[in-house]
Formats: sequence, structure tokens, C-alpha cells
Amino acid sequence: MRLKAQTWKRAVLGLIAGLGTCLVSPPLSAREFPPTVPPPEAISFHMPAVHQLSNGLRIVVIERHDVPIVRLYAIVQVGAEADPPGLPGTANLVAGLLPEGTQRRSAYQIAQAIDQAGGSIDTGAGWDESYANVSVLSDHKDLAFDLIADLLIHPAFAPDEFERIRKQSLSALEVVNQDPGYVADVVLRRFLFQGTAYAHSEDGTRQSIARLTRKDLVSFHAQYYVPSRTVLAVVGDITEPESLNLATRFLGDWKNGPTPPAPPPVEPRPLHGREVVVINKPDAVQTEIRVANLGIARSSPDYFALTVANQVLGGPAANRLFDVLRTEHGLVYGASSDLDCYSSLGAWVAKTSTRSAETIKATQMVLDEITRLRNRPIRPWELQNARDYLVGHEALQFESPSQVANQVLEMMLYHLPADYWNQFPQEVRSLTAPDVLAITRKYLSPEDDVIVLVGNVSAFRNGLKKLGAVRVIPIADVGRAFPEPQKGTADRPAPGR
Amino acid sequence: MSPDFKARFLVALGMTRPDGVFRQPLNRGRLHSRFTRIFRGFMGTVALLILFVPGTVFGAVKLPTVKIDTLELPNGLHAVMVKRGEAPVITVEVWYHVGSRDEQPGKTGYAHFLEHLMFDGTTTLGRHFSDYIVRVGGIDNAYTTTDATVYWETMPSSNLPAALWLEADRMRNLDLSQKNLDNEREVVEEERKRRYDNPPYGTVIPTLYEQAYTVSPYRHLPIGSVKDVDQATLEGIKDFYDTYYVPNNATVVIAGDFSVDQAGQLIRKYFGPIPAGTRSVSPPIPVEPPQTSERVVRMTREVALPAFVEAYHIPADGTPDSYPLRLASEILSAGDSGMIYHQLVYEKQVALEAQSSADFSEDPNLFFVFAVMTAGHAPSEGEAAVEQTLKRLKDKPLSPKELQKAKNQILFELAQDRENSKNLAEQLGYDSVVLKDPALVNTEPSRFLSVTAEQVQAAARKYFVRGNMTLLEVHPGQTDQVTANWHTGTH
Repeated sequence: MRLKAQTWKRAVLGLIAGLGTCLVSPPLSAREFPPTVPPPEAISFHMPAVHQLSNGLRIVVIERHDVPIVRLYAIVQVGAEADPPGLPGTANLVAGLLPEGTQRRSAYQIAQAIDQAGGSIDTGAGWDESYANVSVLSDHKDLAFDLIADLLIHPAFAPDEFERIRKQSLSALEVVNQDPGYVADVVLRRFLFQGTAYAHSEDGTRQSIARLTRKDLVSFHAQYYVPSRTVLAVVGDITEPESLNLATRFLGDWKNGPTPPAPPPVEPRPLHGREVVVINKPDAVQTEIRVANLGIARSSPDYFALTVANQVLGGPAANRLFDVLRTEHGLVYGASSDLDCYSSLGAWVAKTSTRSAETIKATQMVLDEITRLRNRPIRPWELQNARDYLVGHEALQFESPSQVANQVLEMMLYHLPADYWNQFPQEVRSLTAPDVLAITRKYLSPEDDVIVLVGNVSAFRNGLKKLGAVRVIPIADVGRAFPEPQKGTADRPAPGR
Repeated sequence: MSPDFKARFLVALGMTRPDGVFRQPLNRGRLHSRFTRIFRGFMGTVALLILFVPGTVFGAVKLPTVKIDTLELPNGLHAVMVKRGEAPVITVEVWYHVGSRDEQPGKTGYAHFLEHLMFDGTTTLGRHFSDYIVRVGGIDNAYTTTDATVYWETMPSSNLPAALWLEADRMRNLDLSQKNLDNEREVVEEERKRRYDNPPYGTVIPTLYEQAYTVSPYRHLPIGSVKDVDQATLEGIKDFYDTYYVPNNATVVIAGDFSVDQAGQLIRKYFGPIPAGTRSVSPPIPVEPPQTSERVVRMTREVALPAFVEAYHIPADGTPDSYPLRLASEILSAGDSGMIYHQLVYEKQVALEAQSSADFSEDPNLFFVFAVMTAGHAPSEGEAAVEQTLKRLKDKPLSPKELQKAKNQILFELAQDRENSKNLAEQLGYDSVVLKDPALVNTEPSRFLSVTAEQVQAAARKYFVRGNMTLLEVHPGQTDQVTANWHTGTH
């Protein structure tokens, strides 16, 4: 009953929101409602000029002078998807070693230089990009360009530094492989993206980290870290001419090598039936739950409709999963769904965690919500709220210059058109409930999905049958290469296992 | 390492929050200052006051002065506002000066429990607070610390009137029902599991605080004890709400693109009619007696690698010693050249991660070092390296270059606090409520600038001593066990 009452009230609110300022007085006593505000206005976004050096390096500058900080964000268009077969973790290890010594500076010299400037360095790799970020107080601009150039162009991959990082990475893997949330995400990816370059562990496995050689790293770097694959965003208390001068001075001599062979196109393998994987961690008091379908590439035209559908199911605000699992039933602390979109594929993942004994109940509720979204159109007020949230939220996504820079880098990485964000409100507002239903049915299917549960299986073994055929794997096997769902993923089991 | 890996790694270590709602991350340095009432003296019953001091210059870099508008209503409500016009976005925060330090024995976890219930509806509007924020694209949340409970919304500026209406509404009209209480109790228990019980090293920090304190309410974290949360009654929570959720215990903070005049009018209109509270909002809090001898605690847990934490009592935030200690903390902790990381992770390679952090707060808190050993190395090796490092800090004053580095690190953090409306509102709220001086955002930088190398050395000698330390070693084991070489007298 409670759900109905609340739904009814939400519907009223949605109606009021939909009418916006046209409605002078709301139907109920004004004393009981907050002042009406106009529906969110779309912001107008001006794509900054993209400059290009003669070596192909692209540069954008976003000036803002009220805070004495300069931030450089460099992305190189290569990520964990390019890890060589059998060597997962290569892209992340290469990026991780950039600040650990160059031909001119030791790791400690780099750390001392950046820390002296009050700044910080962060490097790493995602699936489609590697990045190096350098931030400094604005009286150390030259140093920032000098360092980022040195890191990108001349990393030494010195054997002793490499061995140190290898040892640390192996120990760190031991730690995160005991963390239920991390394990759930790694295992999900392995099953959902099986057979593609996105299925392996981006941080590597014990075997691959042990096996990687300096030569592997040097060759990955030489192949992909080239100016024509790199975009640099310069942000903050620095002018555009100054930025371009410094970029030319420090990065102008960077040379392109031979173009690496284009990777084979990634085709996600459609799911047929359900795969349920349980990772058994007997000391867990809570179970991490993931329910996933394949999603879309970032540049897909279905992105807008799917974003609206996801907003209703488990998006970053009020959503059905949160309402049902937390607000109605008190089963969980958080419940959400994410669209993870990469350059050639994507995932639609519902995530939550609950006390061990309620694992099956909570999982079933997630599945029920997925079925509901697939079976019936979303309500008009849900559509309205989702659209207004997405349009209004744009202002928050462009609040700080660093956010602007990161939006621009994303647009360039995924080849989104320059007017993308100006088109976004219109695209989202033109969607109807039938559009959203059609797109949901295209991608979301509770019959063909992957479910991953990480927890103490003895607390919920009895209910597992309801979910389907189950494979139970001890958590200790996750760090090793446990039996693969299919042949062809990057980290094959070591011989003998 | 991948960004996800880094985030999850810290979660596994119990060093940060998975989703940022509950407790301030332990490694986020915040700049605070001494309890002063300077600005209160100037305020009439309803006065709009502008605080102005010249900007602070650090070397070649200038930190511009922030223009702060303040307001006090006859019912005791304070407001602190900073207008900045770069983007059509604002952050509104309401700070209630009540945290886990105000909780009585047997009632731990109440401040945080109530924080959850504040989202469950009012008698006027029902459970729709967040709908009015989300509908325009905004986001809202809250967190509870030892010292304060903070509610915040970041949203398009046009939504300011609604946000202030909503905050005033739940300050007065919260609908506390048994049903909501029972539901949130379950949610809080899930939150506890998620943050503390389930991550591999998640119980380390709660155990540390329990061992480092004997009578101070800092002994327990804001999540409280399972038993107290289990036994919390509607009456008890309602009493807590009636006592602390009153205008004279609240500060409204607004930062971003808005009209200060309009905001002032709205605050008077919506918060003005709420009557001041009649009970004391600052009951006496037990004072922790000085620690006199080293405490050694050993715990076993199902973790992959051994770890250890060393914790030293430090003075309250904003006290004279807190400034040199903050600089000492930067030298020890900041970046890969920080002395602790450099020694344990880089030079000796006994630890795979080592962090240190000064957790400054309203009452004296802890400076601590947390290290996870690399496979094959024992905590004792790390402890020896920490001892050597601290000895270096005590034996010799920092060089001018080292001192400048620490100051640059501080300046960067101060500047960073101004990069968006949320950071700025957090800073203003903390300064106003916990340290009682909203002008600190302008006046505090010079306090850091004036610290000398000798003061840093003296502070290190005073606080980084064995008798002032609690050592907690974590060893892999099948069951959770804690044994200590000392007795608090309270168990």
C-alpha cells in the first residue's frame, strides 16, 4: 500500500514539475510545497578551439584565473583493450611506471620536484585511454609542462624501478582480490565480455604481472605513446598563448613512430541464456551483487534513450532499485545501475550489496525491476523527471574548468560531434516512453544475462537454484586464472590448471 | 594501476568511503583553526556583515580574498554566503553542530541514524525532499562526522528557493515514525557491513579508535555500536532531534552563483519562524586524560597481508600547535616524496602502501601512519622505519626548502578548496561551525606561512613520542581477535 501511496504522490509532483511555471498555483495548499522553480535550462556549451602541433598533438586550453592552480590532463588513445594476449595489465603497468623514472630523472627526483611545487601527478589506464595528469601551483607552469613531456616521451622503465613496482603490484593484487566489490567487477567483466579484448583483468593477474618483461613495456610504449594519439588539456590560471608556447617548447619535438597495426574490431558476443557465477568468500558478512546485460558503445545513437532508461532503473538520483531495495525493504545501503560505455562495446550493470542471508531475495528484486522496466512503459512523471534531471545536471557537469576539460577529452576520445552537448537536451527531451521501452527491450533481458554474487555461499546456497545453473568458485581462485567461460580471453589459465 | 583499482584498494584498506556519504575520508587534509568568537561580537540580531581582509601572497602565488557575507537571525540561526559567478551552480549546506562526540554512552550512532531519517519525509511534504533537488538536475546527500552533521545540495542556481524551503521544512517538521526507524536501522546495519565489517581491513580504524581513547566519545566512530543502534527507540531519536535540530545549533552555508540579498530574504522567510531550541546543545563532554605509556594491540583477521597502524594523540584543530603539526604531517605524508612513503615503500620496500594523516577535529584527535606490508615482510620492519623517520624530524629542523614544500602543499589544498561550489561550502561550513570563524578561509593561510622550522621540530618532539602512541598490528588469521597489552579500566 505504501508503495502505491508514494507512487501517487510522486505522480502529483511530476505533474507539477511538468507544468512548471505555467501553473501559477499548485493544486494543493501552497504552504505544503516548496516554491515552484522553472524547469532546468539547458546550458550552452562552447567547444574550445582544438590546436594541433606539427607532430599531430592536439591541445585545448580552458582558462580560469581565480584560483592559482594549473592542471594538465593528457590522454593517449590506448587502454587496457590493447593489452597483448596473455599479458593483461600491460597498459596499466606502463602508465604506472611513467612517474617512476625517466631518462633524465629518477623516480625520487620526479616526486621531489612535483611535491616541492605543491602539486601532484596521477597516471593510469582505463579501457580506451591511458592518462597522465599533472597539477601545480601556477608559479610552476614550466615545471608542469616539462614533467608531463618527460613522463610521456622519455620514461626509463628502469629495471630496478620496474621490479619494485612489480613486487608492489603483486602484493596489491593479493589485497584487492580479497575485496568483494573489486572481485565482483572483475569476474563480471570476464563473463560478460568473454571473447573480447575487454574481458581480462585490467590490473593483470599474478601470472601476467610476474611474466611481463621490460621489453613488453618498452614496446607497448613505443607503439602507442605517440603525439598523434595524444590530446592535452590545459586548465586554469594560464593563458592560451602561454599554453601553446609551453606545449610547443616541451612537446613539439615528440616524434611519431610507425603506425601500429589497427586492432581487430571488437564484437561483443551476444549472451544466450543466463550465467550465474558465485564467488565463495566464507568470512563475508555481506554479498556483492551484480546483474548485467551487454550495453552499447559510447558513440552509439542509442545512448540517449538508454541513459533515460537507466536513469529510471538505477541512475544517479532517485531510481527504482533504490526505492524498492532500500526505501521499501531496508535490504541494502546502496542500489544503482550503471551504463559502462567503451569505444566498441558496453555493459548495463545493476549493483548492490546485502546481508548474506538476504542475497537471493535482493537479487530477485533486482531481476523483478529489470523485468518490470522491460514489460511496461515508464510512467509519464518518471520520464519527465529523468529528462529534467539529465538536462539540468549538465550545469553541474561543467561547473569547474577541470570538469569542462574532462568532458572535452571524452568527446575527443569517443569521436563525439563538437555540438554534442548542445544537442543533448534536445535529444533527451524528444524521447517518449515508447522509445524508452523499445530501447530497454533491445538491450535488457533477464533471460540472457550474467549474475555475479560474491559472498558466503553457505548462507544462501538453498535459494540459488531459483536463479539458474550456478558455478561456484572459491575466492582464492580469482587471483589465479580460474577456468574460463570460453576460450579466447586475454588471460588464459596458466598451463597445468 | 587503473582508477578503479586505486579506489577499491583504499576501500579494502578501510581508508576511504566507497560512496562518500558517511564519514570524512581520513586522508583528506582540511585546514581549520582556533575557536574564536571575533566575528560574533560584531553581529546584531539581524545583520549582514562583510568580512574583508587583504589576499594572502605565498611566494609568487596569490590566493585572492574571498568575500564572505554572514547573517544571524533572532532565533540563533547563522548563515554564511559566498557568491562566485563562474557557473550557474550553487551548493547549499546546512550544518548542525552535533556529531558522534555529543552522543551519550548507550546512545552511540544516534547522530548518524538521525541523518538517515532526515531523508524519510516531513509531516508537510511527505518523503519528497530529494525529488525537488533531482528534478532540476541537482544532487543531494549528507554525512556525519565526530563533530557535525552536514546536509548538502549542489544544483542549478535557480533552485535556491526550493532548497532553502526544504531544509527549513525538515529542520522543523520531520516525520519520525516507527516504520521509518525500523527500516533505516536495517539500512544503517548494511552501511556498517559495507564500510567496516566486509572490506578486508575495514575493522582496523574502529579498533584503533577504541584502543587509543578511554573516555572521550571519539572512542566510537559515528556509525555507533550495533547494540545501541539496535536498541534506539523512536522516543530517544525524537529527543535527539528536538535537542539538536534547532536554528540556534544550525548554520546555512551557500556558495556559488546567486544573489546574496535574495538568499538573505529567503533565509529569513523560511527559517525565521522556527523557534529557537530550549535545551542545551553543548552538554559537557568527557575529557580524555593524557596517555602516559605506549599501547600495543594485536588483531587477527582474514587478510592477505599483515599491516600496522601507529596513532599519536594530537591537539585540537586550530590550536597553536596544530599549525606546525599540519606542516610536519605534509612533510611526512604528502606525495611520493613524503618521508613515510619514501622510506617504507621506496627505500626499504617493506610496505606496498604507506599513508599518514593528521585527523584534526574539534577535540584532540590522532595523527596516524597506516602501512600494509609487502609479502614476506613483518610489521616490525615497517615500525622500525617509521621510528627512524620520526627521529629525523625530531633531531634536525627542516631545511628552508623542505619547509617551503610543506607550505606549498598547504597552499595547493587551500586553493583547491575554491575550485567548485561544493569544496568552498565545505570549507566555509567547517570553519564556521567547528572552528567558529567563517573568516578563516582568508585569515588562516598566514598562520601557516608564519610557522618556522624550529616550531615544526618542537611539535614533532612533543607529540611523536612512544608514550603517546597506540600501535595496532594486523596479522592474517582465520578469526577476528583483538588482544591488548594494556587495560582501559572501562572493560
